[in-house]
Amino acid sequence: MRNVDLTAEGMPRKKTSELREVFRHLVRNRAAVVGLTIIGLFVVVSVFAPVFATHDPLAANLGNRLQPPSREHLLGTDELGRDLLSRMFYGGRISLNIGIISVLIGVLIGVPIGAVSGYFGGKLDIITQRFIDIMIAFPGILLAIVVVTVLGVGVENVMIATGIASVPIYARLVRGSVLSIKEQSYVAAARAAGLGDVRIIFRQILPNCLAPIIVQSTFQIATSILWAAGLGFLGLGAQAPTPEWGAILSNGRAYIRTAHHLTTYPGLAILLMVLGFNLVGDGLRDALDPKTRS
Amino acid sequence: MSAPAVADVPVLSVRDLKKYFPIRTGVLSRVSGHVKAVDGVTFDIQAGETFALVGESGCGKSTTGRAILRLTGATDGEVYYQGEDVLGASGERMRRLRKAMQIVFQDPYSALNPRKTVGSAIGEILRVHRMASGAESRERVEEVLVRCGLEAYHSYRYPHEFSGGQRQRVVIARALALDPRFIVADEPISALDVSIQSQIINLLEDLQDSFQLTYLFISHDLSVVRHMADRVGVMYLGKLVEVAEKREFYREPLHPYSQALLSAIPVSDPTVKKKRIILQGDVPSPANPPAGCPFHTRCPYVMDVCRTVPPALLQTETGHSVACHLVHPVT
Repeated sequence: MRNVDLTAEGMPRKKTSELREVFRHLVRNRAAVVGLTIIGLFVVVSVFAPVFATHDPLAANLGNRLQPPSREHLLGTDELGRDLLSRMFYGGRISLNIGIISVLIGVLIGVPIGAVSGYFGGKLDIITQRFIDIMIAFPGILLAIVVVTVLGVGVENVMIATGIASVPIYARLVRGSVLSIKEQSYVAAARAAGLGDVRIIFRQILPNCLAPIIVQSTFQIATSILWAAGLGFLGLGAQAPTPEWGAILSNGRAYIRTAHHLTTYPGLAILLMVLGFNLVGDGLRDALDPKTRS
Repeated sequence: MSAPAVADVPVLSVRDLKKYFPIRTGVLSRVSGHVKAVDGVTFDIQAGETFALVGESGCGKSTTGRAILRLTGATDGEVYYQGEDVLGASGERMRRLRKAMQIVFQDPYSALNPRKTVGSAIGEILRVHRMASGAESRERVEEVLVRCGLEAYHSYRYPHEFSGGQRQRVVIARALALDPRFIVADEPISALDVSIQSQIINLLEDLQDSFQLTYLFISHDLSVVRHMADRVGVMYLGKLVEVAEKREFYREPLHPYSQALLSAIPVSDPTVKKKRIILQGDVPSPANPPAGCPFHTRCPYVMDVCRTVPPALLQTETGHSVACHLVHPVT
């Protein structure tokens, strides 16, 4: 798959900063731009929810409940007669936060655990992995429930809980990648050159594990939002009147036959957001890889 | 600091080096045996010399090279670099030793980090050893690249933008950047196209002359070894079976295994009749090496004593060292 770049052959190349190079490649990737646009739209709408919202997201109007989309209520109303569109604008704030922060927590804790476990191996690895086994044996949502129960109910704790619930996934994923990459000769070369273990892990090995981490993260954003919805459904997450996509979705489930718009639109919103992160994630993966960049 | 600066202190001394890999079985991964990859290897390499380790795949020659550089922990034995203990060194002392001893790998495709430009990979090494940073580091990187037959602007390139031969030049440049005295060349040309091999060999020889390098040259290609080496050590099943000056070795190999190896070199003249020694059977498993001489299961001259008494590596009058009961009869 090596492409011979005839024009560049023999021509000195200007050194450009790595970050700029990555960005340049990202914006040239059409799919990634679409993804960035989608995410950007969601962010703008969430941040400026009070501007965009046509109604008070908490104002109930029982005489107007379960209305299908109309000119007054663009996406209809829910079981308490609240405007769905306005609730979704406000809900985006919480859902975006849950998705992003929980993935950050999962990555920041899970990746180092997996990297250290895979790199050093031996007893440390055995102990860590048995512990991860136990965590993986529980479904993520159950693990999140346990954590929320310990930490207490609340949106912040839901972010932490879903983040912790995704730690074993990252730990296992990264360990696998590290196991294969640490056998590469360039790692041995780094060791022969006298580089320390920390430097080898973070500068030599982890950059080569980026692809699976990015792909997993784009999916994990969706999973976390759904876990958070499940927690909300059980009364452990966002509390009753607070708008949150997952909560709206699970509340609307009861009316799926009579008022499908209550599940369709939040579902579509989650889907679109995941799609956005997916496209950006794919683009990022390619942009970060020097091989696909050139 | 007490290294006696005398010329006759070997650059590298290896004493009874052993590397056993544990075989783990069962749920509890209990150690049920060992693969004796390197089993008591002893040799010296003098300054400016090229010492070649030869043998078929799996005989432990690469593991020996890696154990010397502590890329894999040795099970037992000692390694001295200019009289300084390598295997026991730590901290600042080990860093200094690392600088002096470098390695060139067999496969140039896995030897370079795909995510780093050549310049940043070599620059990082220079920074760690506080040899250079910033503009000075860039200069040094370009200097070693040019010295290895590449161009200065190649430092901004990623590994995948190079051909196999160029990559191997980069690998050599990286080893050279730290200004080492001793380089383990672990089959440096066997992954390359034949047309490139000679270029890399010439480069290695050229660098040896310019920088007074000492090589441990690991190879299974006896014709390359004949060209490169000053002395040759033959390994079989983790043990050295013969060590000799190159000329002596190619003129009159004493160990039956060496004789078989040499008889396998193709001769360019088709009219020359040659006696080929074809060995029977396979190499025994290093997890379960035969008693006595490791070679007795395939040796055409096997005697009773070979099956029970392991022969020691002893010197003959010609300076050969051979581990064989035929050459040194047991009294």
